[in-house]
Amino acid sequence: MSDILPVDAIALREEVRTKYREVAVNPRGSFHFHTGRPLARRLGYDEAVVARMPDSAIEAFAGVGNPFSLGALKPGERVVDLGSGGGFDCFVAAGQVGPEGQVVGVDMTEEMLSRSRAAAAAMGLRNIEFRRGVIEDLPVEDGQADVVISNGVINLCADKRRVFNEIMRVLRPGGRLQFADIATGKAVPESAIRNIDLWTD
Amino acid sequence: MLEESGFVDIEIGPPVDTFGEAVGESKARLFAVYGYAFLAYRPR
Repeated sequence: MSDILPVDAIALREEVRTKYREVAVNPRGSFHFHTGRPLARRLGYDEAVVARMPDSAIEAFAGVGNPFSLGALKPGERVVDLGSGGGFDCFVAAGQVGPEGQVVGVDMTEEMLSRSRAAAAAMGLRNIEFRRGVIEDLPVEDGQADVVISNGVINLCADKRRVFNEIMRVLRPGGRLQFADIATGKAVPESAIRNIDLWTD
Repeated sequence: MLEESGFVDIEIGPPVDTFGEAVGESKARLFAVYGYAFLAYRPR
């Protein structure tokens, strides 16, 4: 596989940051994707979990699937969420790993970090921490995660090989990656792949 | 790419109609874009 990236990774990162800043500031705005509680229900999250989540914890949710659908997390596990956004998946994870577990959310958008930290505080969750960073260079030590989760974020990175190498680094041996993301069923023209605007619209 | 990165025991869940009834539905349909859950392990 070629290591030549299809688009400028830094320029794409800024496009993504701009888009998700909009979601953080105005989660009920008009986007090309669904958001919030209706999206969580569409994606098959546990209805009881969605129902008891306060609006502040779920309204900026903008995932594309359910990373917990192939298996729940286990009590006591250490979790890292790549691109934690408004924190919804971290809050779901925190409930599954319980007070003996630990969840670290990593996001590059300050407005999302502010939102997720405020929601965690409002819910009284003590086993969650949100760190600023990019997923190609995770602010997490080697082998610290039992599980890495992510939802609709890896597809927005130009250098996916680097992201997967980072995930491998932070996972303990035998640890697992369970994530949700989009995939295309039809070939996308090269011209479209090289158009940054189409990555976020 | 998961395999190339060294992950093993890879599992992929069924497709989810992520963009159905959203503003971006028509573009998603053009390239048959759906959401999927993935599970993969770092070898021991």
